[in-house]
Amino acid sequence: MAADVENLKPPGPLKISSQMKTTFAVLMFLGFVAFALALVNDGARAWHGYLTAFFFFVSLALGGLFFAAMQHMTNAGWSVNVRRLAESFAAFMPYAFVGAIALLIGAPKLYSWLDPQVVATDYLVAHKAPYLNQGFLWVRTLFFFGGWLLFAHVLVGRSVDQDKSGDEKLTTSLVPWSIAFVMFFALSYSFFSVDALMSLEPHWFSTIFGVYTFGGLFQSSVAFLILLIVFLQRQGLVTGFITADHLHDLGKFLFAFTVFWAYIAFSQYMLIWYANIPEETLFFVPRSEGPWVWVSLALILFKFVVPFFALLPRWAKRHPAHLSAVSVLILVMQYVDLHWLVFPNFDSSQVVFGLYEIFIFLGFLGLFLFSVTSFLSRHPIVPLKDPRQQESMHHHVVY
Amino acid sequence: MVDQLYAAVKARGTEGMAGIWTDEHQLIKAAHRLREAGFVKFDAITPFPLHEIDEAIGIPRSYIPWVTFVFGFVGLAFGLWFTWWTSAYNWPIIVGGKPMWSLPAFIPVVFECVILFAALSSVGALIFSAGLPKVDPPVIDPDLTSHKFALFVPHNDKGYDEAKIQQIFQDLGADEIKRTEF
Repeated sequence: MAADVENLKPPGPLKISSQMKTTFAVLMFLGFVAFALALVNDGARAWHGYLTAFFFFVSLALGGLFFAAMQHMTNAGWSVNVRRLAESFAAFMPYAFVGAIALLIGAPKLYSWLDPQVVATDYLVAHKAPYLNQGFLWVRTLFFFGGWLLFAHVLVGRSVDQDKSGDEKLTTSLVPWSIAFVMFFALSYSFFSVDALMSLEPHWFSTIFGVYTFGGLFQSSVAFLILLIVFLQRQGLVTGFITADHLHDLGKFLFAFTVFWAYIAFSQYMLIWYANIPEETLFFVPRSEGPWVWVSLALILFKFVVPFFALLPRWAKRHPAHLSAVSVLILVMQYVDLHWLVFPNFDSSQVVFGLYEIFIFLGFLGLFLFSVTSFLSRHPIVPLKDPRQQESMHHHVVY
Repeated sequence: MVDQLYAAVKARGTEGMAGIWTDEHQLIKAAHRLREAGFVKFDAITPFPLHEIDEAIGIPRSYIPWVTFVFGFVGLAFGLWFTWWTSAYNWPIIVGGKPMWSLPAFIPVVFECVILFAALSSVGALIFSAGLPKVDPPVIDPDLTSHKFALFVPHNDKGYDEAKIQQIFQDLGADEIKRTEF
């Protein structure tokens, strides 16, 4: 086996077919039209749909960057051949920066605490005004997105530079940058989750909320990474470079973070249920009655129970088609999860979900796929000059 | 007294043929050859894990994960029943104005029961399947824990034939071939 590995043809960059380009363009166009139509007909609904889809893809982009940083931090060898694919998610970050500015413009349609009348009459919201106010929101959001853009530039940029120079010092220099990014990410993503999602209901607070959104971020990023790998494997681009053993380890990550998400979700629920304090339970009350209770139950079943059993056997994590199916389920449920966080704030009496939400999501999907594939068409799919690359070539999972 | 006790617990070996190599690649080749010759019960003794050996010897997947899985469910059932029996049936006490049978409060206990049952049963199954404890088992060669590799074919294996095994071991350059106990 070792001899075959040496003779492998290096996978070049991805070639984007004109069919793919057209698909992405059509998706983006449809998404834009749907958003524009929604803005005209029902501004609040349009922005709620925008927030849900935007948060979904920002989380994917950050998840990819976090995955790459984690590999540098732990000096991991096995993951070198899949790291570039995780890095490609971060190509969405510049678009996310623009998207964040759009979100800030639409914020008054989403957040009641931006309304001076609410602040004047609501004691609790007035009490939180030093944090929840327009000026600070802009500063924080731009600082977070600017920081993520900077870290994406350094972490991905140096990794790509190494493809040309083969300089081993780049690998060591990425360790402190990765540590800095992970610390910045932990705080900034928590605060961003609080700003974007938790403050939709400004009376409510949950200290575990950032961990909850992180659980979904990692779960969905690994799911997307697996789908991208299976796509490239079917194209025959990574044969010998990304094997069933790499998929197996990513499948373990997917399984672990499925359990992690459920663990955190339950921790949040149980403590609020137990303490029974009105400012806390007001989050779960609309989600435990009426039509939203079915969405809550669907989350437990399809974001935890079904993937848990579907990923439990060893073969399930090595079988590309099976693993892809579970990944698709998890990505769908990640959207449902975010929809469940956002939309009861728009209308708690019914589950609002229609063509607007679908097409706004598809528009973002087109943009995300466009940024990922165009990144992969400009750079090699596998970082061949990484000093640990041979370790990844010979990666072998016994159990 | 001590001697009698020792004789009672001492692990008994099986007669068979052993081939010893210092090159693990030859060992893996020999393992493949033994399998082709129809042997099924033979084993490899190596100082460190060899990735290809599982496949070369044809070791089936361990049944231990199933033990873990089944006992996880047993722990789940036990945890549910036990929290119900203690808190809602045998000695019901109202806590925090919650119903007697308050599932969210019991989930952590049930969860820990699943982990406890699954973990202890896995360790138990491991000890059982490895035939432990083994007191002073026969040793083919003390160097098998440092730099040598051995294949051992027990006498009760299918089509056991010493001359044939010796030939296979010799062909693949075994440093030493001996009749021994393991």
